Amino acid sequence: MKTKINYSKAHAKYLKNLKTEKIIIAFWQIVVIVGFLGLWQLLADTGAIDPFFFSSPSRIFQTIIELGQSGTLFLHIWTSLYETIIGFLLATVIGVFIAILLWWSERLRKVMEPYLIILNSLPKIALGPMIILWVGSGTSATIVMCVLICIVITIISMLNAFISCDKDKILLMKSMHASKWQILFKLILPNALPDFISVLKINVGMSWVGTIMGEYLSSKAGLGYLINYGSQVLQLDIVMASIVILCILAAGMYAIVLPFEKRAKRN
Amino acid sequence: MEKFLQYDKLSYFYQTKESEIHALNDVNFFVEQKSFASIVGPSGCGKTTMLSLTAGLLEPSSGEIKLGGKKIEKNDSRIGYMFQRDHLFEWRTIWQNIILGLEIQKKHKDAKALALAEELLKKYELYGFKNKKPRQLSGGMRQRVALIRTLVLNPSLLLLDEPFSALDFQTRLNVCDDVYQIIKSEEKTALLVTHDISEALSMSDKIVILSSRPATVKKELEISFEGTTPLKKREDKNFGKYFEMIWRNLS
Repeated sequence: MKTKINYSKAHAKYLKNLKTEKIIIAFWQIVVIVGFLGLWQLLADTGAIDPFFFSSPSRIFQTIIELGQSGTLFLHIWTSLYETIIGFLLATVIGVFIAILLWWSERLRKVMEPYLIILNSLPKIALGPMIILWVGSGTSATIVMCVLICIVITIISMLNAFISCDKDKILLMKSMHASKWQILFKLILPNALPDFISVLKINVGMSWVGTIMGEYLSSKAGLGYLINYGSQVLQLDIVMASIVILCILAAGMYAIVLPFEKRAKRN
Repeated sequence: MEKFLQYDKLSYFYQTKESEIHALNDVNFFVEQKSFASIVGPSGCGKTTMLSLTAGLLEPSSGEIKLGGKKIEKNDSRIGYMFQRDHLFEWRTIWQNIILGLEIQKKHKDAKALALAEELLKKYELYGFKNKKPRQLSGGMRQRVALIRTLVLNPSLLLLDEPFSALDFQTRLNVCDDVYQIIKSEEKTALLVTHDISEALSMSDKIVILSSRPATVKKELEISFEGTTPLKKREDKNFGKYFEMIWRNLS
């Protein structure tokens, strides 16, 4: 609902200032990226840095085109994207479910507390060799790694959100004869929605960490594999090209989660 | 005189790691039907414990509380509870907040219950805000919604735990007036717990003064003013006299 109201000139000026500020920031954001790429290209072209080790924007672009034409690029992108999305979804769903169980039983929560803390501080990559032995190398190992990295923080964050719910609100529900299920579905879960959204945002980043780490450990395809392969055959162009694609994919996934946050905030 | 709500030799102990605390000791008093009673007492004397016991959220250690001659059960459905803050759920609209209790008790398709909810909303000038979210309402309106949420379940006794303490002074006086009039016109029996003497005075027909822990009834006071609303009562010439009497008993 937008109604046109005639505000004072000061207000018009204020709005204009806001708009100008936005444009200035966008301008400088573009200057930073163009300047960075331009300088890199210039240094590489003039031989100030060795493109063999540092690559260059044009060579990265060239590499992406070549990989795309040979068709392998999409295999790698698809593999990593698949692993990340499956890992992300599994970790989020299982993590929230476990958090609900721990909320439900205070005793279980107290029993599990020290183990959660240990699991949280353990560098999950240390489990890598075992994962490969248990589920085999390749896609499934990567997904397991991805889930391991995301799930502990999901459990801890969601559990905190559940138990930090106002005690009086629970009392209110009880005074209306709510069952534990009703308290869960009508109060605890909707109340934790904002925390759930931030968990999603964190997990987008973490699941990519898991995927790349998993692929470093053992894989036959994926962007992590491509980076590893590129560095082993000393083709820094391939490494850089993979990183650029990775940036775009991660940003894309983040952009998918953002509208959820906006919606949750509006409610 | 009908003893609608009756406390009979009520005692309560609660346990902490360090010791056992004797919170209430041999509390005896009653509240008449459709009247408004308040409990005042020094801070930490167990006023809120009294309410929790009355609501059936806690079990008395000894003695009993009867409502309409029947012992109060765990989570007794004859009782409505109003808290210090309104605790409206931000993700629900005003209407959805009001029928929360009906939903919980699976009565949200009961035409009679829904009609009562609508009627209360209209009567207390909130109908136009039915589809708004709680944060779009003022503090006073929110507290009114919270009261209606309780009234929709048709309790015969309302418990009020310092329901105005989160509001600023000006709003507080007005909301106090509103809430009082709603309770009176719906003909509910009410029990208020507060540390604010003038609030208790302006709303109650009877004030029960508790001693410090272990709390017992120190004095019961029947209040009568000429005014009929809390705001008018505050202007009564006897207001100061009562105030002083309670104040002396508290300290």
